[in-house]
Amino acid sequence: MKWQRRFGRGVVAEFSKNRYLYLLALPGTLFLIVFAYIPMSAHLLAFKDFRLSDRLWGSKWVGFDNFRYFFSGNDWLRVTYNTLFLNGLFLVFGLGFAVMLAIFLSEVMSPLFKRVAQSFVFLPYFISWIVISMMTQALFSTSEGIINKTLNSLGFEGVEWYLTPSVWPAILTIIYIWKFAGYNSIIFLAGITGISPEYYESAKLEGATRFQQIIYITLPLLRPIILLMLLLGVGRIFYGDFGMIYAIVGDIGVLYPTTDVIDTFAYRALRQLGNFSTSSAVVLYQSVMGLITVVIFNAIAKRIDTDSRLF
Amino acid sequence: MVELRERAFVVMMYTVLVIFALVCFLPFWLVIINSFATETSIQTQGYQFFPRSFSLSAYEYLFSGKQLFNSYKVTLFVTTVGTLLAVFTTATYAYTLSHPRVKYRNILSFLTYFTMLFGAGLVGFYMLIANWLGLKDSIWALILPYLLNPFYAFILVSYFRTLPFEMNEAATVDGANDLVIFFRVIWPISTPIIATVSLFYALSYWNDWWLSLLFVDNYKLHPLQMMIRQLMSNLNAKAYVAGSGTNYNIVVPTLGMQLAIVCVTIGPILFVYPFIQKYFVKGITIGAVKG
Repeated sequence: MKWQRRFGRGVVAEFSKNRYLYLLALPGTLFLIVFAYIPMSAHLLAFKDFRLSDRLWGSKWVGFDNFRYFFSGNDWLRVTYNTLFLNGLFLVFGLGFAVMLAIFLSEVMSPLFKRVAQSFVFLPYFISWIVISMMTQALFSTSEGIINKTLNSLGFEGVEWYLTPSVWPAILTIIYIWKFAGYNSIIFLAGITGISPEYYESAKLEGATRFQQIIYITLPLLRPIILLMLLLGVGRIFYGDFGMIYAIVGDIGVLYPTTDVIDTFAYRALRQLGNFSTSSAVVLYQSVMGLITVVIFNAIAKRIDTDSRLF
Repeated sequence: MVELRERAFVVMMYTVLVIFALVCFLPFWLVIINSFATETSIQTQGYQFFPRSFSLSAYEYLFSGKQLFNSYKVTLFVTTVGTLLAVFTTATYAYTLSHPRVKYRNILSFLTYFTMLFGAGLVGFYMLIANWLGLKDSIWALILPYLLNPFYAFILVSYFRTLPFEMNEAATVDGANDLVIFFRVIWPISTPIIATVSLFYALSYWNDWWLSLLFVDNYKLHPLQMMIRQLMSNLNAKAYVAGSGTNYNIVVPTLGMQLAIVCVTIGPILFVYPFIQKYFVKGITIGAVKG
């Protein structure tokens, strides 16, 4: 086969010509193979009845039984709904607030005020979810929490926050905004800085107010960045932030109806029930849905605005 | 009329900014100030913005045991060694990806990008570390999984692409091979961006508890974040923290201790924060430009 020989020779020639460059890439390549590609084989467990003693290849094939089991109950509906709903809230309110924050910060004239304010709003990004969960408890704990103490002193009865599922989507959204608004606003601020001042000057000549300038100049020109961030978020919409949910809500069964996401569900199946096969089925479902979402939304983005597409 | 509305709008903007900045700061204040309150006052009056009592007993208790020092050592080791290894792995890999002479750079880029789209998921990851690599209860389980973050790699790629290629050619003419070029020419002029990526890695190592939750049962290997978690969920905090000669009549400042360990953990971050903040801003701004 002529083309194969030529192809083979090409590969060898390329590797020997740039051997030092490929040597530099070796640690990274090994990492990706070992930590990203080899573990993908565990998706096969979703189609097997896995027992630790039989290892991955020795276990019995069971076809779609694990999926049938997962999809026969109501759990999959609940965790899928919660994952999409919570991530949707985070995306819409998180990005919305960050855009507002960036616009307000960009309008601030005093450099000192701007710097101080930015330092404060960026600070929560540096804190781990564990520390945040500690802070959340200081606020929402039934007996010692500030919120209930304040309610009591005003003559109201305290709320048992950690036993009330309906409040958690709101609380988690607020916490998300708190942690990431400052971080995300930096991206939008960079976009605003890139807008030519001439737009604003001519708008001012026409008598536009600041509010009108924001609506008619800043927001439309930020649109590509907002869209890109939205798409990145939508691509990850099937992935709950395990660190966030598990640290803050943890294993409180009462709160599962609104806080149990695909990731926490898979974690419980794996670590607490030791059920590798169910967990694999859940995880494969998540990965495939995630991949499909990215591809679809990338196609949509391409149609709306060629600059916003991801690949 | 327009003047008035304009002014009202500006006042509204400043109010929102001031309030949100305060909201961002208050939980920190709450944790720090209450770590100095007495245990009884927290139990009876709850966490307060201005507690009326003062006590160092939470810290005394925390420092009297061995666990804090163990955990600090683990966190410091994981953060230092992890960051060094991760930056080396990522920078060398990113350089090859950015090099115009590398024929397969697009394949490599795609294979890197694909891992962001389709992961192995929890099960594969767990089996890899625990069963195939046998790293359960090993400190390397806390380091190895974060050695290459595709997102940071692409930040470096887009930076390396901005460097003039003539420099590379000049060095080649002088007889330098690609290894020499990378370590003697590229690395030194890339210090700012490498420092930025290092900070990102350092922060993720410092704040991580997920890996220890999954893979470390031996409490001697628990990093600080895991220690906080244990103190929050573990009813038997005494056994976890206390050293020898525990006096069982003493009231254990459980709530205070949770706050104190949080302060001990975030202290270093708050301390270096003013100096490193601008590097993070730089990193995020570059990261916003897709790789």
